[in-house]
Amino acid sequence: MQIEDIKKNWVGHEFDVATFEVREADVLEYASSVAESEPRFTDPADPDFQAMETFPARFVSRRVLPESFPRLGSRGFDAGKTVNAYGPIRPGDVLTAKSKIADAYEKTGRSGPMVFLVHRMEFENQDGDLVSVVDWRMVRQPDPE
Amino acid sequence: MIIDLHSHSVRSDDGRARVATYCQWIRKRAVALDGLVLTEHRQFDDESDYRALEDEFGLLIMKASEVETDYGHVLVFGVNDDLRAALDLERIDLDLRQLLRWAERTGAVAVPCHPGRPRVGMCAHYEELGPVDGVEVVEVYNGGSRAGEDEAALALAEKYGYRGIGGSDAHLVSQIGSCATRFAREIHGIDDVVSALREGAFEAIACR
Repeated sequence: MQIEDIKKNWVGHEFDVATFEVREADVLEYASSVAESEPRFTDPADPDFQAMETFPARFVSRRVLPESFPRLGSRGFDAGKTVNAYGPIRPGDVLTAKSKIADAYEKTGRSGPMVFLVHRMEFENQDGDLVSVVDWRMVRQPDPE
Repeated sequence: MIIDLHSHSVRSDDGRARVATYCQWIRKRAVALDGLVLTEHRQFDDESDYRALEDEFGLLIMKASEVETDYGHVLVFGVNDDLRAALDLERIDLDLRQLLRWAERTGAVAVPCHPGRPRVGMCAHYEELGPVDGVEVVEVYNGGSRAGEDEAALALAEKYGYRGIGGSDAHLVSQIGSCATRFAREIHGIDDVVSALREGAFEAIACR
């Protein structure tokens, strides 16, 4: 079964490292785009000024899937992101994100069988502190026979 | 008593509701429920402990599973160690006949859900593969049904003499209680749900 092969050979596989600089303008733009009003997210003069917890979801790695990852069909869609925050992210921080396949599983739905791939990005700041983990679920569907 | 027999929390990969938030919503919106059953996808959650929430909100919070079979998705009430030892609930290709046999053998009840739904409902598979002996109850009201799906489920139940339950299939907080099941007897836990489903003293209700 293909999913068993993916679990065995690819889950846990780290395939990308990227760095991102957190810019004040981006932090403010993000907060504004979701109509945030709390000063610690919108006012650079606030003593606790920081990015919103979901801010790291805007960063993307250089690869979506590892090189040589099996082809699972040409159809698919984005099944959303889950963000777990572990510490503040502030303008001026430099984040290093390691990407890996965190999980793979199957399910069936109205549109037929699907394989879900969880692309996890773990963000550490310049001090080596884990500040955020973003799980991006991608769905792949087999091509119709 | 009215119980929502089909709901998902964040324990399911596509669930977006925390159980505590379901409870808050039920009480704040005066949703007519005495309890809910968490039917997480392809698993049985034996880790979460909701007793404190039950006490705080005066609600029954029970656990079951929604598994995937060759005849579509099926709710399993009364999941126990024997059943889990016999079947890998994570699989998406469980044999419904085998599931029904093991449920019977281990004291559980298997209830095909949203049977009118394309691909993951029983109706389409019945047309293709024929009926299955051992099915006694199906979900006839599902909160996630699109037009015609519940009607197909009701027609299936009538044709084969199945009894019907209702469940919201909630994945979001605001969906809880949109469909449910009214039991004639007192329900104190999942064993009572299993007994009541076997006895047949219940009715599906839609609150949409």
